Amino acid sequence: MSTSFADTTAGQPLRRIAVLGLGNVLLGDDGFGPMAVEMFRSLYECDSNVEILDLGTPGLDLAPYLYDADLVVIADAVHPREEETPGTLCVYCDDDLGLSEAGSSQARSSPAQLRLTSHDPGVLESLAQLRLAGHAPSEVIVVGVVPESCGLGKGISLSVLNTCLVAVDTIARLLLEHSIDCRRRRDPIQRTLWWLSGSA
Amino acid sequence: MARISIDPITRIEGHLRIDVEVDGGKVQKAWASCTMWRGLETILRGRDAREGWVFAQRFCGVCTTVHAIASVRAVEDALQLEIPANAQYIRNLILIAHALHDHIVHFYQLSALDWVDITTIPKADPARAASIAEGYSTWPGNSRRELEAVQNKVKGLIGSGQLGIFAHGYWGHPAMRLSPELNLILFAHYLQALEFQRKSCQVVGILGGKTPHIQNLAVGGVMNAINLNSLATFNMDRLGMLQSLLQDLIPFVQQAFFVDTCLLAASYPEWFRYGRGVANYLAVPDLPTDAKATQFDLPGGLIMNGNLASVQPITNWRDESFRAAVAEDVTHAWYRGEGAQTPWKGETDPNYTDFHEDGKYTWVKAPRYNGSPIQVGPLANVLVGYASGHPLTRKWTDTAFKTISSVHGFKMTPDDLQSTMGRYLARGIRSAMLSDLALQHWQLLTDNILKGDDTTYNPPQFPSHECEGVGMHEAPRGALSHWVIIDKGAFSNYQAVVPTTWNASPRDEKGVPGPYETSLIANPVVDPQKPLEVLRTVHSFDPCMACACHTLDASGREIARVKVL
Repeated sequence: MSTSFADTTAGQPLRRIAVLGLGNVLLGDDGFGPMAVEMFRSLYECDSNVEILDLGTPGLDLAPYLYDADLVVIADAVHPREEETPGTLCVYCDDDLGLSEAGSSQARSSPAQLRLTSHDPGVLESLAQLRLAGHAPSEVIVVGVVPESCGLGKGISLSVLNTCLVAVDTIARLLLEHSIDCRRRRDPIQRTLWWLSGSA
Repeated sequence: MARISIDPITRIEGHLRIDVEVDGGKVQKAWASCTMWRGLETILRGRDAREGWVFAQRFCGVCTTVHAIASVRAVEDALQLEIPANAQYIRNLILIAHALHDHIVHFYQLSALDWVDITTIPKADPARAASIAEGYSTWPGNSRRELEAVQNKVKGLIGSGQLGIFAHGYWGHPAMRLSPELNLILFAHYLQALEFQRKSCQVVGILGGKTPHIQNLAVGGVMNAINLNSLATFNMDRLGMLQSLLQDLIPFVQQAFFVDTCLLAASYPEWFRYGRGVANYLAVPDLPTDAKATQFDLPGGLIMNGNLASVQPITNWRDESFRAAVAEDVTHAWYRGEGAQTPWKGETDPNYTDFHEDGKYTWVKAPRYNGSPIQVGPLANVLVGYASGHPLTRKWTDTAFKTISSVHGFKMTPDDLQSTMGRYLARGIRSAMLSDLALQHWQLLTDNILKGDDTTYNPPQFPSHECEGVGMHEAPRGALSHWVIIDKGAFSNYQAVVPTTWNASPRDEKGVPGPYETSLIANPVVDPQKPLEVLRTVHSFDPCMACACHTLDASGREIARVKVL
């Protein structure tokens, strides 16, 4: 039984990294985030200081998972900013999220523009609270996809499914760029995409 | 007369719209509308009953474990399957840790800023604030140094001219009346609360394998392997980690959170006069202390018409009167169907008509108990416990009353709890109770394991005939019940009657409104442009529309739009 979320906090000197999937698996392409992290877990191997978690749609309950982290990579469905087509991969870093000093004043004065991901009320509010409390993550990157359809129980659309594989490799590349050990598994481990199975 | 429509009203995921008519500075009429369709029953029908909990914990992004446990309890009830004592204690500890997390988030992150005006914090005297706080509490986070640091952060935020996530607060509203010092104390705890949210999650993580979606459940018990001599299983190390996390959590709950609810109540005593609403209360028994679930640490019961002396106990999960009493009415909800239906026969057949205040106006059904609307939540939990003479409820309620009267001399009675402020205070009382119970259930688990019992699971046997069951849980927002019909191991019907459905209920076929709607009548509104007082009463219920209505709107795109009010 994995207890990574609990164990990595036992005072280890290692950097704390979180790869988090956000989204509702029951709502079609909104399940991109959970699917991407599950595929990442299946295809790549990381050390125990990297938490890989499907968080669903936690709203403000996101804060504990970001608390004092060194790097957070969030996989999530995002709203198109321009005219991106469904399935487009969008990578946002601190500047885009209005988190860096340079980006903060602009972003804060126009909160409407903050809706980068479907779940950003939780993401941005949690980050702001943690920053004020002095426990914000040092860096946040969103690996997003523009959804095609978020219908109840509809499963993932083909365009988003294809992007999912690219997103998984993107997450691995981002970790490597941050000098975090991340190895492609020779034999992928079983992935549990239980929500895509049909009813009995 | 002014008509105010607030949409959306929650600070978390979900779609709740409140319409009120205001005349003479008071609410005359109110409507609660959920603007999303709920379709979770469709997803569960036909699925393997052993896997229902995995789907059920996705009903809501916040109450994941709550639905998972109600789901396995429903199937176990249908099979009349007893689970091992260890499984009860492990589930109980998960539920306690989740509830503490949820109550902390509600009080600080989701509702404190309806009462705490952060823009006055720069004017506070930190030394005076520290001495006030130390008069009521031993919490180390109340030191002058700590409060000064928080004050400097707030000064920096305000000085930047950009309040960020706090930009939408009703700052300077005449109904905000805390002193700068109290505002500073409560906001310091708002920031400190984040650390304890994390610790609560860690408790759930150790027991459940992962959070927020636990992985250790099974119909028949839990999948935690217990072996005190093995490093890979649930062992003394894990028990020790749990104990130390709980010991870290308890002082924050009892010395910061609980005391803060008392200080807030003592400072706004007029809010014990508003928001009473539906005075029928339901709590279901929870935290069983034996394998057969015959004894519970949280008592269940029913109180009608605000009369505490009339409390009727609900002593176990198989209570026949409960099963016969619950029905859902769709007269004013966007569904087809007539009359009230028991959840076992419930249908979810959408019939959207737009908002018609005299017709259909919400996606929430109207649950009724023997035909009456019911209020659920920490207040119902505390009132039922108090009225039944439950010692732990009495201990913390009486402590709260004593603390409140020591501030400005306001003498409280249990009847005062039936109000907007009573709901806030009850959440503080319930959290203090749960923090005591956390260590008790840790002890029950440890003692049972040390006795040599390592069983955690009894395998289920599914009969070839149809069977029905109810799974109950006294969740953070109140009484939750999952109603299932199982045929050859698969669900043929599944209905969840969730706390927010009880509280956000619309009018029924007799035109009787639900708890949110009733509680708003006569609520003051000083400035219709800034209806802060309406938010206070609605937020006192801790609205969470995600599972009451589930997540789908007409366009299927606006997945979690929230306006922070």
